[in-house]
Amino acid sequence: MRPLPPLLCALLLLGVLPSGGADSAVGMALIPAGTYEPAFRGENDPKTVPVQAFLLDVTPVTNQEYLEFVRANPKWSRSQIKPIFAGAQYLSHWAGDHDLGSANPTAPVTHVSWFAARAYAQWQGKRLPTTAEWEYAANASPTRPDGANDPDFMVSLRRWYSTPNPKELPSIRLNPPNYYGVHDLHGLVWEWVSDFNTAMITGDSRGDTGLDRQLFCGGAADGATDRDNFPSFMRFGFRSSLKAVYTVHNLGFRCARDIDPEL
Amino acid sequence: MKISSIIPAILLLVAVASPRADETAKAKPAPCCPTDGPATEAGDALSNASIYHFDTTWTNDLAQPVQLASFRGKPVAVAMFFAQCDYACPVLVHDLRKIEQALPESARGKVHFLLVTFDVERDTPEVLARYRTASSLGSNYTLLRGSSDDVLELAALLGVKYKQNSRGMFDHSNMITLLDAEGEIVSQQIGLNRDPGPSALVVENLITPTASTTAGN
Repeated sequence: MRPLPPLLCALLLLGVLPSGGADSAVGMALIPAGTYEPAFRGENDPKTVPVQAFLLDVTPVTNQEYLEFVRANPKWSRSQIKPIFAGAQYLSHWAGDHDLGSANPTAPVTHVSWFAARAYAQWQGKRLPTTAEWEYAANASPTRPDGANDPDFMVSLRRWYSTPNPKELPSIRLNPPNYYGVHDLHGLVWEWVSDFNTAMITGDSRGDTGLDRQLFCGGAADGATDRDNFPSFMRFGFRSSLKAVYTVHNLGFRCARDIDPEL
Repeated sequence: MKISSIIPAILLLVAVASPRADETAKAKPAPCCPTDGPATEAGDALSNASIYHFDTTWTNDLAQPVQLASFRGKPVAVAMFFAQCDYACPVLVHDLRKIEQALPESARGKVHFLLVTFDVERDTPEVLARYRTASSLGSNYTLLRGSSDDVLELAALLGVKYKQNSRGMFDHSNMITLLDAEGEIVSQQIGLNRDPGPSALVVENLITPTASTTAGN
């Protein structure tokens, strides 16, 4: 894949695109169209999934950014949110409705449910990325779109995923961006996706219909690079354990946008 | 990338402060036309645990707008399905009727049955109307369609997993969720072809006491 010309990169980062709401494309990177190989797929599911070009936030949403959302939308404040939309630990790391307390303003916001993440995205005129979009963007290393073929990157990944979270979540952007200019898809927090509830439908539950009783490891499962991509399997496992109302101390999110929104 | 191209972009990224601070939450459409349910704007505030706080507008098989809160006042049994589902969903619908039949006759009119489709593209009101006729569903059944976003959110609220597969059909969990008169989730019946007894008992106990306590009523 040829790198984007520098001027186009700058224009895209400036949000000068033929789409609505140019200001909301600031801080987003263009992820070009491509294909993604799911780590898990059903027997009858295709091995590769096409991903259309889309825009992705270059960093996860921070505590400070989420605070602005809460100020503008009081029903999403900690004291007013309905329990069906977030569990009891919603924003529990903050000191109050509009008070971050000792929480790092530029750390990714966590303790937010899927409903809350979606509401923030909608407020921004954006949406959550799909699993395919997120994983496709996350496949990239700092130097190549196919990070699985970047041995140094794979070593870093395994180290990050086997290191416990620090007590205080660090700020965004401390690590270099990946090939697409996106930071922190690895090594910071888990992130919500719009279709998390499709992950790992295993058919273990006898109540499930039409689901493959066996899940096949996707892609070239006998290829060494795929076997090494343990973090991808971890993410799938994590997503399958989630319910939309859950809030987790190391689960945040970032937003995505279609390039030509239909709205 | 040349430095001369990067610097303007970086400066702009740094200079732009924050999202639009004056944006408010997207306005929801005003509640419309409750069906035959009791008034929703009456004195009592809706319970915090009610899923009716999800106040989007759906469309029924008569192409009328419907909000979930219009069902307030009666317990509701809700399931998600799609019309082209050729095995599981007919069994699921049958399970709903088994619950209805397992209730004492005096109670059957005091519960509502709700079917919401996954298939936002194909299950138009006309398709839903044909499904109603083909399945002989009475006026105590409501069939709803909505946007894919709203279907996703309702499924998330109910804990229903679903995914469109490579054949365009939907893989999904089979679940009947029982809501009380306030729209709170009380229990769920999971799987197909289940004994309706336990769910019927739950529904009976959700119906207002005046209706169900006298034997042979």
